[in-house]
Amino acid sequence: MTVVDIGLSNTGSVLNAFQYLGAKTEVTGDPKSVLSAEVIVLPGVGSYRQAMERLRESELGDAITASAQDKGNKILGICLGMQLLGRSGTEDGITAGLDIIPADVAVFTSPEVRRRKIPHVGFNSVRPAVGSVLFEGLPQNPDFYFVHSYRMMPEGLTNTTSLCNYGTDFVAAYEHENIFATQFHPEKSQVNGLQLLKNFLEA
Amino acid sequence: MLKKRLVFTLLFNDGSFMLSRNFRLQRIGDLEWLQRNYVFSNISEAIDELIILNVSRNEPPLNQFTDMLKQLTKTCFIPIAVGGWVRDANQAHQLLRSGADKVVLNAPIFGEPGLIEQLALQFGRQCIVASVDLARSDPAGFEVRVDGGRRALSGSARERLVELQDKPIGDLYLNSVDRDGTGQGYDLEVLDLLPQDFGVPVILAGGAGNANHFETGLLDDRVDAVSSAHLLNFVGDGLHKARENLITRGIHLPIRDLDIRDLRARPEVP
Repeated sequence: MTVVDIGLSNTGSVLNAFQYLGAKTEVTGDPKSVLSAEVIVLPGVGSYRQAMERLRESELGDAITASAQDKGNKILGICLGMQLLGRSGTEDGITAGLDIIPADVAVFTSPEVRRRKIPHVGFNSVRPAVGSVLFEGLPQNPDFYFVHSYRMMPEGLTNTTSLCNYGTDFVAAYEHENIFATQFHPEKSQVNGLQLLKNFLEA
Repeated sequence: MLKKRLVFTLLFNDGSFMLSRNFRLQRIGDLEWLQRNYVFSNISEAIDELIILNVSRNEPPLNQFTDMLKQLTKTCFIPIAVGGWVRDANQAHQLLRSGADKVVLNAPIFGEPGLIEQLALQFGRQCIVASVDLARSDPAGFEVRVDGGRRALSGSARERLVELQDKPIGDLYLNSVDRDGTGQGYDLEVLDLLPQDFGVPVILAGGAGNANHFETGLLDDRVDAVSSAHLLNFVGDGLHKARENLITRGIHLPIRDLDIRDLRARPEVP
């Protein structure tokens, strides 16, 4: 599996998790490697705008779209990586995303989180969608580690969408054919996260 | 529902892990000792977050610390906060590249104006843990101590904590110098020093000796996480047992029913 490195995030913990599972790993910032990769992981923390600018400048964005959407290679977006697969983000002005998942990303609003603290940080339980591949073999409503201020809303998503509640329901995980994404960090969610990554590898 | 957290804190000093009692340090063992006595590759089963602090009294070589970090965090699949001797963004960045998810700041919170803001801008506020050491002082109040508990800051602890209210931080780690390492339980009165509606998650530290102490801390609404840095009280499977205990008693900690060893590709070399 190939971890896309856009130079903004720490790829180490994602690599550690996949290596624990015995996967052969590579890290790349080269669009050609992404095009030929059969399994792609797009991790990320940081700003939507900055990350999209990097993806555009480096042509990694086009490579991801071509690899995942045209060639059907398997991809997992994690945290900001999931949001970048969406249609757009509102952090620091509206930025177009890779448009692989048909949903927009916006900041949590105070009314919707009902006086809870923003960012949403910590372990929270996820309600897996019926028919989910990612959550196979996991206990009911498993806990995962979240850290984010922006969220993707489930409205309009017809494919397998698993939800988390933080005052409001938002997308915790998305899966459709070869496209997988999680808002939480499986690599920081101990055994639950490792099981999910294993499910992704075997999907 | 957002869960509460059980946190373990490691104190590192020049190649060794330390036991601290009222901030006086005693050497316990090296990384090998830790691996042997805590089966460290499995410890993330028992806790929800790991904090590693470089408590060396003199500025240590950073690479010795980051080498240990890289080794220790390789099989630790939970959030990891790291601090001690972080004075600028470059040092913070090196820790984040060596396995840390968050950076812990202590003395610079008050001593280096603008540093928290700069780090938050660069890495996000969720990345910053403010660590504040409190000690009881006459008359019947608290003061903030820095430099390993040796120097008291001017002003009351209450005033100092108000300063933190509007800072871009992700967690507040509240430690008690008086209870530190005593195993007598947390000093819950430190929570009364917090401003009303303090908008940042609180990690309570200093004094936990058993699961009852963790429970008392976690039952307080103002507490999001409890920590222990006592290397000997929870040796072996002590943390695992404490966690099981807390869950049985209805404390909302993250649940993980699967066995992490079943997912490991190669068995560990004994």
